[in-house]
Amino acid sequence: MGKPNSASACEPRENAINMIAVNCFGKQVIERTNKIIPYGSLGEPERRIAKMKRLIAFVVAVICWPAALADETCMSPYMAKIVGQEDFVYVWTMGAKGLGDEQDKLVTISVNPDADDYGEVINSISVGGRNEAHHSGLTDDRRYLWASGLDTSKIFIFDIHSDPAKPTLHKTIDDFVKKSGGVVGPHTSYALPGRMMLTGLSNNKDHGGATGMVEYTNSGDYIATYWMPKDGALAGAEKSGEYAGGYGYDVRALPRRNVMVTSSFTGWNNYMMNLGAMMASPEAMAQFGNTVTIWDLHARTPRKILDVPGAPLEIRCAWGANNNYCFTTTALTSKIWLIYEEDNDWHAKPIADIGDASKIPLPVDISITADDGLLWVNTWNDGMARLFDISDPHNAKEIYTESIGEQVNMVSQSWDGRRIYFTSSLLANWDKTQSTGKDLQYFKIYDFDGKQLAHELTIDFIALKLGHPHQMRFGAYSLYGMKAPGNGLALN
Amino acid sequence: MRIGILALLWAGLATAAPHHSQPEKVILAPGYAELTFTPPVVGSYSLPVLGDAADGEVVNEASESVRLHQLLGDKFVLFSFIYTNCSDVNGCPLASYVLSKVQDAVRGDDRLSDYVRLISLSFDRSNDTPEVLARYAGNFRKEDFDWQFLTTSSDTHLNSILRDYDQFIIEDVNESGKKVGSISHILRVYLIDQHRRIRNIYSVSFLHPDIIINDILTIVKASGRQK
Repeated sequence: MGKPNSASACEPRENAINMIAVNCFGKQVIERTNKIIPYGSLGEPERRIAKMKRLIAFVVAVICWPAALADETCMSPYMAKIVGQEDFVYVWTMGAKGLGDEQDKLVTISVNPDADDYGEVINSISVGGRNEAHHSGLTDDRRYLWASGLDTSKIFIFDIHSDPAKPTLHKTIDDFVKKSGGVVGPHTSYALPGRMMLTGLSNNKDHGGATGMVEYTNSGDYIATYWMPKDGALAGAEKSGEYAGGYGYDVRALPRRNVMVTSSFTGWNNYMMNLGAMMASPEAMAQFGNTVTIWDLHARTPRKILDVPGAPLEIRCAWGANNNYCFTTTALTSKIWLIYEEDNDWHAKPIADIGDASKIPLPVDISITADDGLLWVNTWNDGMARLFDISDPHNAKEIYTESIGEQVNMVSQSWDGRRIYFTSSLLANWDKTQSTGKDLQYFKIYDFDGKQLAHELTIDFIALKLGHPHQMRFGAYSLYGMKAPGNGLALN
Repeated sequence: MRIGILALLWAGLATAAPHHSQPEKVILAPGYAELTFTPPVVGSYSLPVLGDAADGEVVNEASESVRLHQLLGDKFVLFSFIYTNCSDVNGCPLASYVLSKVQDAVRGDDRLSDYVRLISLSFDRSNDTPEVLARYAGNFRKEDFDWQFLTTSSDTHLNSILRDYDQFIIEDVNESGKKVGSISHILRVYLIDQHRRIRNIYSVSFLHPDIIINDILTIVKASGRQK
């Protein structure tokens, strides 16, 4: 039964040249014989072999079970994963007045160090206007990238598999609000088997924060809307604390526990408002979410509402087979919270401060390492990347900080945690407009040796007249059985 | 059941890593074990329509050409893509194992016994002839059960079905670009109702007989066809 070198989407996949394999359940179960050797210390034949190995970027498709969330570790557990060298970073970029064509665009950057065009913008596809470009996500088969606009509620589906170096706009969904029954502001695009779950941030009745999740097929056909539970419409959920405002923001799943976790931010009225004006308005500042909701993943029904005051944003769940917990950070109260299962029930508690809350560091994106040991936390206002030791998830400790730029929002890391990518933009009306000497709107690559970051490359999105860069997603030829042009090697 | 799991695990280990002297640790998919959570109660949730189940030309174990739609529409169908040389214990063997457990459950449940059909369609048409599939079926299918093992007669027919069901596959090649016989793919199993509509898509994490049976009972109950 079976043949040598057989590999399917859900096993530790073996390639012609073995590297690392990760199984469908989140454990790196096969360590091949490869040792990490500094490239510069190799002789020419070894360099060629090393180059071949890097060119044969090994991809593990883990459509099946929590394998590992780095930006490769922050993706849906249902999705194929790149565990070798990524070839591209796709940056969903917000158009800005006075910069180039002023339109939102998907920018493709070559990031494989062995590529001749390493570090260059190799493709840019504009979508015909500004939509408040924000987050993006990949389908479970990783052939399409969904990118949405918080203002217009449009969703742009890009084909990234036909030519991974040159994505094309495949389809635009422009009836999201109508089809969903009034959800506004599509945010997270999260892969489920053959489907995408999109969180909303707002609604079309009052443009406040009450909202829902909307499910689509991979083809972009509407399936269903699931409203966030709120006072008066708990939909069977247990309100365990003080709050039940119906807000939404991010979503992640822990299939092994049949759990889906959602967080909460604020509505269109606030996220489209000038940041200074909003913070000066007590009424506006009262309109933020204070909850994390635990859902029955299979039934898509809310089970329990947990108090997590201060706008809990990104959710990152642990990968370990027995690590039944997730992390989130609160934008307004500047804390890391642990969402965890204990005694067959779900709970939330703060486990660390992020900087000095009185200085409003404003924690934004976070990224968990594949071994569940470290958590990167960006604080947008001071432009800092902060690394927390979360090996004891109940006692997170900040162990390292690095200034990245004038402001920093998104962070994405490779599967092995060696390459860390940063972008700068938060929201059109919240972004800083003046620099004090640091980079303002950028894409940056750093190497991480386990202790500190080493800057490798910066792309200035203002100088290139591209716009304000936001979410990053990784691409690789090997996901689609393709060869990298020019090297003549099969990548699968 | 335990023997079956061990056999599958052994097979996976024996074939997935032929070049390594040490057996490799494989963590089995949830479908091989008891559920680690209590599934939602039958009928307490809905399974929205995910789209129409596409038609296509297929070949059955008797080497007869049939339309896929001839096999859909009268029963609730669990539709799986496989290939018989798949050595990933958490891939096609998992799909066939879980479907066999669904078969056992359906045979023992008079609410379902007349209403469920299983279909396994191979995407390795060069190897999986009707004869090969008939032998493969013998490992899983009970004699009297409605479980069809299908292949296709041309790449055109196969690719049309793969496209329509959004089943992405890659034929693996070695460094020289030569095919090595294995096929990388996303494991997907489709639950199709009696109106030829897709009601659920399972990947490894939710491919479990208890969940599938609950889902079938839920749409059977909603359809009013339950005995």
